[in-house]
Amino acid sequence: MAVSHLFLQNCTGPLMIALQYNDLFDLSISTSTNTDALPKGRAFTFIKAVQTVNERLVDQNKTESLLFEVILIAKECSEEIKMKIVESVKHYGLEIGKFYFCKKEELINTLQSNKVKLFISTDRDDVYKALHTGIPAALLYDQVDHHVLNQLKVIFSGEVIGFSEDSLDSLSDFGFGETQIETFKAAKICIKEFAVLIGQMRRRFGHENSPLCTCVLTTWGSRNICATAIKTLREWGLDVDEVYCLAGAPCSPILAVVKPHILWDSGLHNMRDSSAPS
Amino acid sequence: MSEIKPTVAISTDKNEATAEEKDWAAAKAHFESLKSTKPRPPKPRYAVTIGVSSRTLFDMVAERKIFEEEGLEKYVQHQQDHESEPLKPGVAFPFVKALMTVNERLRKLYPDSEELFDIVLMTNNHAQVGVRLINSINHYDLTIERFCMTGGQSPIGYLKAYMTNLYLSKDSKKVQEAIEEGIAAAIMFKPEMETPLSETQLRVAFDGDAVLFSDESEIIVKQHGLDTFFEHEKLNENTPLAKGPLKCFLEALGKLQKKFYAKNERLNCPIRTFLVTARSAASSGARVLKTLRSWGLEIDEALFLAGAPKGPLLQKIRPHIFFDDQMFHIEGAKDMGTISAHVPYGIGQKYNKGKLIEPEKQQK
Repeated sequence: MAVSHLFLQNCTGPLMIALQYNDLFDLSISTSTNTDALPKGRAFTFIKAVQTVNERLVDQNKTESLLFEVILIAKECSEEIKMKIVESVKHYGLEIGKFYFCKKEELINTLQSNKVKLFISTDRDDVYKALHTGIPAALLYDQVDHHVLNQLKVIFSGEVIGFSEDSLDSLSDFGFGETQIETFKAAKICIKEFAVLIGQMRRRFGHENSPLCTCVLTTWGSRNICATAIKTLREWGLDVDEVYCLAGAPCSPILAVVKPHILWDSGLHNMRDSSAPS
Repeated sequence: MSEIKPTVAISTDKNEATAEEKDWAAAKAHFESLKSTKPRPPKPRYAVTIGVSSRTLFDMVAERKIFEEEGLEKYVQHQQDHESEPLKPGVAFPFVKALMTVNERLRKLYPDSEELFDIVLMTNNHAQVGVRLINSINHYDLTIERFCMTGGQSPIGYLKAYMTNLYLSKDSKKVQEAIEEGIAAAIMFKPEMETPLSETQLRVAFDGDAVLFSDESEIIVKQHGLDTFFEHEKLNENTPLAKGPLKCFLEALGKLQKKFYAKNERLNCPIRTFLVTARSAASSGARVLKTLRSWGLEIDEALFLAGAPKGPLLQKIRPHIFFDDQMFHIEGAKDMGTISAHVPYGIGQKYNKGKLIEPEKQQK
């Protein structure tokens, strides 16, 4: 995997993140009149946190080019909804770079042609599909309350980074099915570029009071896998702030305390084996 | 077998429960595949979880000095520069080794049981310091596979998420927070000299009032004097005392002890518990013993000092840890070589050597 070109000291250009509108807005609640903005969805705190990071980056350097840019994708929308989306974005003062209205099957093409650095979604199937086509993708963690922290939190999977290439085939011993192993491998390839970019951004701030917080989470791997992940990320230019090694302990209670926005994960439950009988 | 953890939030979401099982299965398989004889960590729900901070597990006095004098950035850099140098053992190290010994014995007798000690490193240290911590854990071959390094945030939320049974730290604020959240916790103090400790038996000593029991009786002593206290205790001999912050930990130890008794290992049990109380047996001891009995708890040795200093006796007992709520006793114990842990709970915090501390001077 030749990625030496990624080690540019000064990566310019925006870090593009793609989001789907049904994560940004909550469509389950019907709005009464046509003039109401769409209710806030699960990605709301994420987008606010991203904006905080951008503000702080610009504060430090007015000509900063390594900023987040969020593009919004909407599959299969009526004209009415399209209008609603654009208006709601304006209503909440959200910084959306571009809007893409497309058909369901055009999602992957849209992501590829825009060279997004990350696609996040609460829909696991969308995330896996994207990973399999080489698009970096991660879960948008469902923030239970809409309390906005002034910090964007990103979790990297300790297993995806720390597990060596040659041990990947042993994953089947741990209960991974074939599709899951493929997803794991795909994630391993995609995660690096994103980590390098986040690392550059993270270095703009000190240890304390940073609007960007990075973590490593190892759900089932050993402590040495975790240590390898920390050191590997360091080599890639990212000094993570927090690390959690669970060794099989339930991760939902821990995630509920960490409250991440972006979750690169390798838990088996997050990688459904579509070939296995349900 | 009754629960070691009194309140376990069992996942009501079926998907979540299945997810948890899958993660657990993967961890199990992964550890079994590792080419070492390292035992895998137990399932948290059934284990006695002990959270230790990085400063209690390892000696970080010199590093702490750098943090306080030169700031966070220099501190993290220093730790990174010395990453491959293992840290020296800290004050909780002997206790952790003793827990591992008990686990070994439990695994031999009950190879399929998850009722073991689970040691978790809970620290608000930064992840980059984590590499040195992991290297040190590897160096001493400690069975610590779970950790939370929160990069400056309070670890209290994680203590609850991990269903922690006991939390040990050097930071009094964190320990107080933990106790307020209902988690047994204590501030560890390094003894003045090293005492050789048992390598085959975990020995834990507890003070009675405001540690195992509530501080209700202690309030009477402080506010009304010893005579009133004796009267009160005699009158209420058959009324169990309310529980204190460490009661559940004693209970957890008792449950593990029973596993040894069930296999005829009572005489060779690798856990021994001690009650070291300033109460006197004749005038106020009965209530204590009756309370323990009403709780279904056994304590191996109950030592009533009738006000005599605890230091010399503890020196003979040589516990891996001694819990007391009063700094006066903690000082006395550590001066004579006992690893002591202060439980900042109850009325004893407002007093020093029997005298009421002025409100401004009270330990926050």
